[in-house]
Amino acid sequence: MLQKPLFWLSICVLISSAVLAYPLYVIQPFRFQGPRELAFSLALIRFRPIIEIALLGAALTLCWFSWHQARGALRKAAASACALIVVVFAVLSHINVYELMFHPIDRPTFSPAAGAKLDGGEEVIAVHIGTAARAYPVRSMSYHHIVNDMLGGLPIVATY
Amino acid sequence: MRDEQTGTYWQQITGKAISGPLAGHSLPLVSADELTFALWKLEQPQGTVLNDVARYAADYAPEDWDAKTAKVPTVLSYAEAGLKPRDLMLGVRAFGASRAFPFVAVLKEKLIQDRVGAEPIAIVVGGDERSVRVFRRRIPGSSEVADFYRIGRGGTSARPKQVNTNALLMDGQTGSEWNFQGCATAGKLRGLCLEPVSVIKDYWFDWRNYNPETTVYGIKQRIH
Repeated sequence: MLQKPLFWLSICVLISSAVLAYPLYVIQPFRFQGPRELAFSLALIRFRPIIEIALLGAALTLCWFSWHQARGALRKAAASACALIVVVFAVLSHINVYELMFHPIDRPTFSPAAGAKLDGGEEVIAVHIGTAARAYPVRSMSYHHIVNDMLGGLPIVATY
Repeated sequence: MRDEQTGTYWQQITGKAISGPLAGHSLPLVSADELTFALWKLEQPQGTVLNDVARYAADYAPEDWDAKTAKVPTVLSYAEAGLKPRDLMLGVRAFGASRAFPFVAVLKEKLIQDRVGAEPIAIVVGGDERSVRVFRRRIPGSSEVADFYRIGRGGTSARPKQVNTNALLMDGQTGSEWNFQGCATAGKLRGLCLEPVSVIKDYWFDWRNYNPETTVYGIKQRIH
């Protein structure tokens, strides 16, 4: 393996781009997600940090060997570039771009029914627990999608 | 949905954990109504309303969002039974069955007496001519199936600012009058309430995707 560090480095780049790109492809919005590909993508995301650590270890070791063994600046530069790509992809895999598109409400604020500036015809999602009653306007719910809330002493999540 | 504590992924429509450490668990459903603000305010004058988040409010859907969304293409299409993917349905999943009621038909008929599985149910349009609730159609305290008549004199046009709070229904067995909360306000059964049934407003393609065995009100043929 250490005889051909560049070859194995490019394999590392290939694997790290695959584990980065596949879930991005499967989970993209407005595309039908088959149950099996979705399950595989979510499992991949869950265990990806372990794969990334292995890839990082391998890539940095291989890069180090390249610098000590390889002849020519070009090979050294290529090895460094490969290792850099693996590092960058590992960092990128910790960012879920699709989650960045949404803005869930973690600290919601409320107005009394009488003072709310809402048109009578606007739709609300209405929940009551015991004597506590809450209305979530559909127009803002369809933007935020998730509101982490407490109602009547119970933690609830309103979703759209 | 993903939770911050365990990283488990949860399916919004069912509340089931589909991947991650808590896979297989379910979040218990808290029943909710979809109402017009005017009607909700009448029912819950002491209630509170979620505020807009100022930073994002400019990006919220416009008032005519439903007309615009109706044109957005769908990922799935079930061109069955003459239904279009974005036809709005009221879906009931209960009593071991799934049944969808076209929203326009419900608004037009105002009271639908039907069955989901073997259980008789009533679908009632509220005094705002827009909000809808579903109830089990049995006389409270007995197993007798109730036959309802619409008595509410709701406005003919949808003017949710003027919600008709009169009783909406009368049952043929006792002549008691029933309101949109499903409770008898006059007559022999006054003070008793019907059992509510959860209903979700959903697009046909989405409902059909999660309820492949669904039947559709007004359509005799098998869907699947």
